[in-house]
Amino acid sequence: MSADTNNRSAPSGAALPEAYWQSAFTESWGVLSRHTIGRIGMILLGLFALMALASFIPPLIDPIYNPMSGVDPIISYTSGPSWRHWLGTDFIGRDIFSQLLAGARIAFMVGISAAFMSIFLGTAIGMLAGYSGRWGDTLLMRLADMIMVMPTLLVLLVMAALFGQLNIWTIVLLIALFRWPGVARVIRSQTLTLKHRPFIESARIAGASHLRILVRHILPNVLPLALLYMSFRVTSAIIIEAALAFLGFGDPGTVSWGMMLQWVWKTGHMFQAPYWLLPPGICISLLTLAFYMLGRAMEEVLDPRMRREDPEE
Amino acid sequence: MMSLNRYILRRLIEIGISFFVILTLLFFLFHLAPGDPVARMVNPNLSAEDEARLIAHMGLDLPLGQQYLRFVGNFFTGEFGVSFHYGQPVAEIIADRLPNTILLFTTAVILSALAGVWLGKIVAWRKGQPLDTAVTIGALVCHTLFLPWIAMLMIWLFGYRWGWFPITGMISPEIWIDPHSGWASKGLDILYHMVLPLLTLFLVHFGSYLLIMRSSMLETLGEDYIYTARAKGLPEKVIRDHHASPNAALPVITSVGLSLAFSINGGALTEKVFSWPGIGRELVSAVSYNDYPLALTCFLLIAAVVLAANLVVDVMYAFLDPRIRY
Amino acid sequence: MKLNRKYLPPAFFNGSQPYRWAVLLCLLAWAVTAGACRQPSVEGILRIGLPEEPRTLNVWLASDAASRTVLRQIYQPLYEDDPETLEPVPWLAAALPVYDAARLTYTITLRPAHWSDGTPLTSSDVAFTARMIQEFKIPMLSSRWKQVERIETPDAATVVVHLKRPLATFLSRTLEAAIVPAHQWEPIAQAARESAKPLAYLLNYNMKDPVGSGPFLFKQWRRGDYLYLQRNPHYFATGQTIADRKMGPYIEGLLFKVYGTTDVAMLALRQGDIDMFWQGIQPGYVAILNKNPHIKVFDSQKSALYYMGMNTRRPPFSDVHLRRAVALMIDKGFLVDRLLQGRGTQLFSIIPPGNRQWHNPDVPRYGEGLKYRERLRRAYELLLSAGYSWEMPPFGSQGDIQSAKGLRRPDGTPMGKVIILTPPADYDPARAISGTMIQEWLQALGIPAMARPMEFSALIDQIKNRRDFDAFILGYGRLSIDPDYLGSFFESSGDKTRGLNTSGYRNETFDRLAEESQCAMDPVIRHQMIMEMQRIIMEDVPYVPLYVPNMIEAAYTARFDGWVPMLDGIGNRWSINMVRPTSGRHD
Repeated sequence: MSADTNNRSAPSGAALPEAYWQSAFTESWGVLSRHTIGRIGMILLGLFALMALASFIPPLIDPIYNPMSGVDPIISYTSGPSWRHWLGTDFIGRDIFSQLLAGARIAFMVGISAAFMSIFLGTAIGMLAGYSGRWGDTLLMRLADMIMVMPTLLVLLVMAALFGQLNIWTIVLLIALFRWPGVARVIRSQTLTLKHRPFIESARIAGASHLRILVRHILPNVLPLALLYMSFRVTSAIIIEAALAFLGFGDPGTVSWGMMLQWVWKTGHMFQAPYWLLPPGICISLLTLAFYMLGRAMEEVLDPRMRREDPEE
Repeated sequence: MMSLNRYILRRLIEIGISFFVILTLLFFLFHLAPGDPVARMVNPNLSAEDEARLIAHMGLDLPLGQQYLRFVGNFFTGEFGVSFHYGQPVAEIIADRLPNTILLFTTAVILSALAGVWLGKIVAWRKGQPLDTAVTIGALVCHTLFLPWIAMLMIWLFGYRWGWFPITGMISPEIWIDPHSGWASKGLDILYHMVLPLLTLFLVHFGSYLLIMRSSMLETLGEDYIYTARAKGLPEKVIRDHHASPNAALPVITSVGLSLAFSINGGALTEKVFSWPGIGRELVSAVSYNDYPLALTCFLLIAAVVLAANLVVDVMYAFLDPRIRY
Repeated sequence: MKLNRKYLPPAFFNGSQPYRWAVLLCLLAWAVTAGACRQPSVEGILRIGLPEEPRTLNVWLASDAASRTVLRQIYQPLYEDDPETLEPVPWLAAALPVYDAARLTYTITLRPAHWSDGTPLTSSDVAFTARMIQEFKIPMLSSRWKQVERIETPDAATVVVHLKRPLATFLSRTLEAAIVPAHQWEPIAQAARESAKPLAYLLNYNMKDPVGSGPFLFKQWRRGDYLYLQRNPHYFATGQTIADRKMGPYIEGLLFKVYGTTDVAMLALRQGDIDMFWQGIQPGYVAILNKNPHIKVFDSQKSALYYMGMNTRRPPFSDVHLRRAVALMIDKGFLVDRLLQGRGTQLFSIIPPGNRQWHNPDVPRYGEGLKYRERLRRAYELLLSAGYSWEMPPFGSQGDIQSAKGLRRPDGTPMGKVIILTPPADYDPARAISGTMIQEWLQALGIPAMARPMEFSALIDQIKNRRDFDAFILGYGRLSIDPDYLGSFFESSGDKTRGLNTSGYRNETFDRLAEESQCAMDPVIRHQMIMEMQRIIMEDVPYVPLYVPNMIEAAYTARFDGWVPMLDGIGNRWSINMVRPTSGRHD
């Protein structure tokens, strides 16, 4: 999936021939798919993607399988796995399995959109800081430092507690707003080294505008690095959302895995209902593991090539 | 050396400014949000006049600018105010809770770092072998475990199903109210209560230290002096333990420093699940009670610790690696 | 990261074998020793689980349930409600007060009693308490003492209270407030007077060792873990008979343990780590608790009110017909059966039926016992006759139920979206889910309702301070037995920012009755007024009472027994005085 985004970004890399991107992609894909950890990550991710897709099915079968508002007309308490409810029901008779599927969808949505936004912000700010230098650089980097020391989970918790419940998209946006500095730092240093390279100098002499230099020449070169961060950011976004929901500060209108765990915990079924306690936790852990493994595999795949291109680093 | 001093000074000033900005932002965040500490007390005996009096008693009736100036003035003279919820000076409450947090997290971080360094060293030495792959995957799994869930699982398994360890709090009051129990049994009691939270934290932290140690060890193994040592014909174990691992452990030490700093905040989840009377749990409940002074001070304490840890790490890097200057 | 070799620190991790073994041994040692040092003797000590850490031991700041539970064992009132009749009986006082209608005075005689430090409790302590509450205008208490003009203490055992005007609630509300020792609080009050903000000084005073007159005295408090009270040797009631009960306490100490979650507390109860959990529990626990032969589950009625409030200040709920239709649509039986699993009562008036003395069963009981179709039909007809219209009414031409659409108000404007605010599910699942159910029922009638859970203090802010809402679901978990709250909920004067009249209800007849009932010294007349007030409210339904859950409590009876059940459960003053060790059994 991350490889896919990699592919789509190829046409924008005008400074390098398209063929280069194609070959780089096939090469790294090849390495990635041979990499044990990468392969495990891919398989897990595929499974969760299937879950997320399947989440649309249960409510169509019967409205009692609606993860949020569907209650079983007969069962009004928590019950163990049965044919009717594969993973049992929660404290008011909602189906745990359909909640779990819906949770996968929310996790993907939160993880990928928050990661995408923070990568976008981080790349833009990092490039701008590195390219502009001087005051702009200092200002942006101090801002980054400041945000970096803020514990994201706690800041979100404070906001959720103070402003009533946050909407899931607000949570996504806030995660992105607090998670860009790490990316920005790396992109900035990469931009700094690129700035004085001959092909940038020559573009400048040829009269290219700053915007053009940034977009056509620097961006394609820092993009692989940014994408590398993507899957780690997905991991942290999923964890933050889950932790927030677990502490009771999530979006009450959404069924996320963290929310499910919170329900088990707060309604006092931790000891009585292992069939309800285990699945959401396993899912959160495995999905973050999948993204993390993918990230590590990509790191190992991408790293040597970047070294090759840039001996100074 | 002069430039290093200048560098430290500059970083100090920058950190001071950062702290001040964070303080200001948080203050206004808290005070401009809807809801107030009185809102929670829905009670037919509490009249509107009573509520207004309580608001005044908390000093929340003053213009916001004035409240801010007062807060800043007090804060920098070490006067953190009185908690709305407990009616007790914030400093006292923090002094009460902080040692509990430090005790739990320092132990957890140190234990897991030791274990991570030890195992990371071994697997790096056997890179590519089945042991390496198995341990690395295991570490990855540990590292990405969802903390509150694994904590609940521990409680369920060890506390409930098997009944081996206590599942809540930090002490057994029965021992503490008994005038005959000495410090030894009290100390053991605390240790006994620490087992489950410690195990949880250990599992989660251990994986990341192992991974850091492993990759740093692999990097070190490519260094010239390792080749030299090999060329000299030293035994492999000596090279591993005396030449490579001390160097490779450095990133782990920095990481330990940072995670100790961050543990004050990451602790919220662990402390909440295990009802550990620490600073993280206090912060979460202070936020939900709209106890501004307590929540603000806890938060600023965390920010200050993280800022300081960052400074130490930066300075250390600058000191160790003369190429880093900005 | 590459490091210059020159700066290497001494080798910390030099394959330190002894290190590792030390760590492992430590871990092992814990497990073994900890297993060996099981709990020491807690003979005679009653262990009570609390759901939350008490806020404070300062009686003036204590507004939370946990600190009040603790302080109730320390500070005592003059009168206490009888567990059966719910009428006030003399506690610190020797007899019921004597009222002189001509002079507007109450005369109270005290029993001989001592404070826990041995000094005698006298009439001057009572006078001091009253003066202090009045002088500092202490929140929650000051309104009760507002009508007191002055207090005389002719001798150490007699208190004469002069009122400004007749006050019907004086005995049941004012005289049931706790009395504090003058010799401990006078110096603090003096310091407070001299400080810049007297009330703040008083509320923030760090009371470390409260002196009381109750069955227990304060011993130690380790914040976050436990609070320990010991038996008070000077307790006045020991050996005395009050309300036909021979007072103890029969226990040596009270140990309050704080539990973060109900789950863990229930486990502790089943294992006998606590003898009682001082909070109502969810019905879901009852089955598992009943399996343990030592556990007794108490199911008591509660003086509580869970309701849906509507904003009568603005459309659409400014129209009484719509409010009645809403009341008709709500299936209280379903809420009680489903959400409370049958452990509760449907509520048809503001004063709950558990409060037998003041509850009025003879009010409009909207939709009681009706089937879904019948409620829908009646609500539909009610709205139709009030001038409402539908593009597609809830009933088709053959009388079949169809999904209603396009509801228009009598003036022809379309019915806008109606938001029902509720607390979040983790705060109270029953209320949050009630919101969702009511949303469905209203939608069946064509009202575009939507339930929205909201964080609790933001919710209160929205309702009480900004007063910008359509409807909400909230509850009062513990209402006093005296129904003077009825007036505060619906008096026009309470319709203001932070006021208790959250639905903005205004009715002159009601206001007059509420005012008069305060001064009605004749209990029969006051009773009639309270009944009439309930009827008026249910005619106009600014609040739809929903249900009152039962108070389910559990006690572990292998060590102690003798709990006294009453309205609001076994967590009361009588229980603490009556509970005694189960003979010959230890665990």
